[in-house]
Amino acid sequence: MIEQRFKCPNCQEIATFYGNPGETKVVTCAACNTKGRVIIPGEKQDNNVAIEVSHLKKVYDDLIAVNDISFTVKKGEIFAFLGPNGAGKTTTVEMIESIRTPTAGAIRLLGADTKTGFNQIKERISILPQEFHSFERFTVRETLTYFSKLYKKRANIDEILDAMDLQSHEKKLYRNLSGGLKQRVGVALSLVNDPEIVFLDEPTTGLDPKARREVWQVIANLRNKGKTVFLTTHYMEEAEHLADHIAIIHKGKIIAEGSLQELLTTYGEKTTLYIKNCHSEDARQLLEEKGFEAHSSGNGDIMVKIDYKEKVLEVLSELRHECIEYDGVDIRGSNLEEVFLRLTGARLTEEAET
Amino acid sequence: MNLKIVGTDFLYSIRSWTRSRGTVFWSLLFPVMLILLFGAIFSGMGESKYTLYVQDLDNTDMSHSLVTILNKTNVLNIKNVTKNDDITKYIKDNNIKNLIVIPEGYENDITRSFSDPSAKVNITYYFDPTETQTNQILRSVISSVLEGLNMQLTQGKTIIGLTEQSTVTENFGFIDFFIPGMIGFTIMQQSIYGSIERNTKFRKDGILRKLLTTPITRSEWILAKMLFMLFLAFISTSVAIGVGVLAFGIKVNINLLTIIIVIATSFLFSGIGMIIGRFVKEEETADMAAGAISFPMMFLAGTFFAVESMPSIIQIIARALPLYYVNEGLRNAMIYMNQTEALINGGIVLIFAAIFFIAGVILTKWKED
Repeated sequence: MIEQRFKCPNCQEIATFYGNPGETKVVTCAACNTKGRVIIPGEKQDNNVAIEVSHLKKVYDDLIAVNDISFTVKKGEIFAFLGPNGAGKTTTVEMIESIRTPTAGAIRLLGADTKTGFNQIKERISILPQEFHSFERFTVRETLTYFSKLYKKRANIDEILDAMDLQSHEKKLYRNLSGGLKQRVGVALSLVNDPEIVFLDEPTTGLDPKARREVWQVIANLRNKGKTVFLTTHYMEEAEHLADHIAIIHKGKIIAEGSLQELLTTYGEKTTLYIKNCHSEDARQLLEEKGFEAHSSGNGDIMVKIDYKEKVLEVLSELRHECIEYDGVDIRGSNLEEVFLRLTGARLTEEAET
Repeated sequence: MNLKIVGTDFLYSIRSWTRSRGTVFWSLLFPVMLILLFGAIFSGMGESKYTLYVQDLDNTDMSHSLVTILNKTNVLNIKNVTKNDDITKYIKDNNIKNLIVIPEGYENDITRSFSDPSAKVNITYYFDPTETQTNQILRSVISSVLEGLNMQLTQGKTIIGLTEQSTVTENFGFIDFFIPGMIGFTIMQQSIYGSIERNTKFRKDGILRKLLTTPITRSEWILAKMLFMLFLAFISTSVAIGVGVLAFGIKVNINLLTIIIVIATSFLFSGIGMIIGRFVKEEETADMAAGAISFPMMFLAGTFFAVESMPSIIQIIARALPLYYVNEGLRNAMIYMNQTEALINGGIVLIFAAIFFIAGVILTKWKED
């Protein structure tokens, strides 16, 4: 990613964003909020592209599951495909993996068109399907050995067991493993052919927070090994924690795309200062009079929107000046949840639960 | 076709199978238990309708009269065999269970008996010794008819006697009938449920999606699984025969036809399992669908009881079921040594196998819609 500059055609302000030559980006002017599409000049560098999806569409009778989406995934990055359940994530990833046939559009994996050349690149990719359960009566080592024998290029099983911290479980039957261990075995399976691209479809769904973090560590290690990871998830923290690049999909369309920082900058809300247990209506009025956007939370807290963190001292000094008491403060920055809320009017977690 | 991949999958399938106590039980011990249980309990089952073939070599008024009387009992369904047929060959070729032969000179001998007290005539009754209860009933009906005739002709002196002869050269019992049926039933169960596991459980668990993105092809996978199913089929056949030989002392002929029928049966029911797995997505529903197909087939197709002992409408249904031909084919090939019948039944099994297996392979998809 290279820093790019553009001049807003509305207010003439110069702003910066990140992208690569040949890419088309949607940018928003920070000064006047004008949105526009910018084509970054220069030749597109395909040799750095692992996955290229253009105008992909999947239609089932009356339902448009995936609606004309395009994106690219760079080699060596973790690409998070974030969206609620039913948004079209799995349909998209399964079209990329050639498990489903697209209604329209083109997909290139490592430069090969999947319509004609998927068999040639099977050796170079690996997938962990959603809700994957391997053969129940194989041990962990046998599971890895079985799948590795399907490929010509084979990674060292001991190294994989070691890297995934599975050595102590290698003789256990798959069916006797915990959910977290099963998912770790699933990710380990994705490495048996030493692939260049690893697709992980909702790898942490149904896991407890501890197991989820263990899987996150495993996925982060894949990036350290130089693998390209295509991760679908409906957990915003997962995308925030792992992804280099995030695409948010909603109702079959990509509604935002970029790095975490780009998404937060472009679509995020202001930082919120929570003044804890400040039961004074006067305080809220005072802050509003001083030009701050302040709201009562209903549980005694006052929430104040601030543009930058330096404003915190200004708010607190106003309260001290009026001798208003409170228990403490909490500063919360914007997150993907808010980005999704702002873009769709719905909360990601609520949609995910439906 | 990468045979190394096929071999790997085959060996791993066996390893996985040996670790499932439930599967081993249902594949091997359950049939053994049934063989021991049924073998001990049953010696034959009664019929509700009795077909009796009659060869009238005399072709006189008196012989016609005997046939008419037999017919009038309303217990027998008389079918005529022409005079020119070689009776031994006819019985073997047509798998005849009950037949009487009215000898040439029947009328003469009876007439002669009025003046010569030593004159006698014997009706020969050919019967299948594996169907004890049926034989008892038929023997009783025929004897009663002959007794009535003797009474009518001579006030009780026996002129018309009954000679019995087995339709088979060896003395077969229920267990000889039952073991081939049990082999057919076991292969059917293994193949249908094995196919369903591969097509519904593996689909639900994402294993088929995973395999689709690996270098193994669908045909390599199916070939590996079929090798495994054949391995199971031969194991269970060997166990059933072993129990039959050791526990009941049956005599079994293992020949090429038996092996072909066992192979064809495995392909046939694997194909049916694939078809079920294609249309029924849920594992539990697929199991129920398999049960709905295999259980009636088990009872109707002559696994436990001879189809001939069932009502005629059921017999028509039975002859539409592939398991019937498997059972008949195996019995004729392994036990009765009636190779003509075995060949006919084996041929029908092969046709069924080709149709269902090809349809199953075509319908089995790894790709999602």
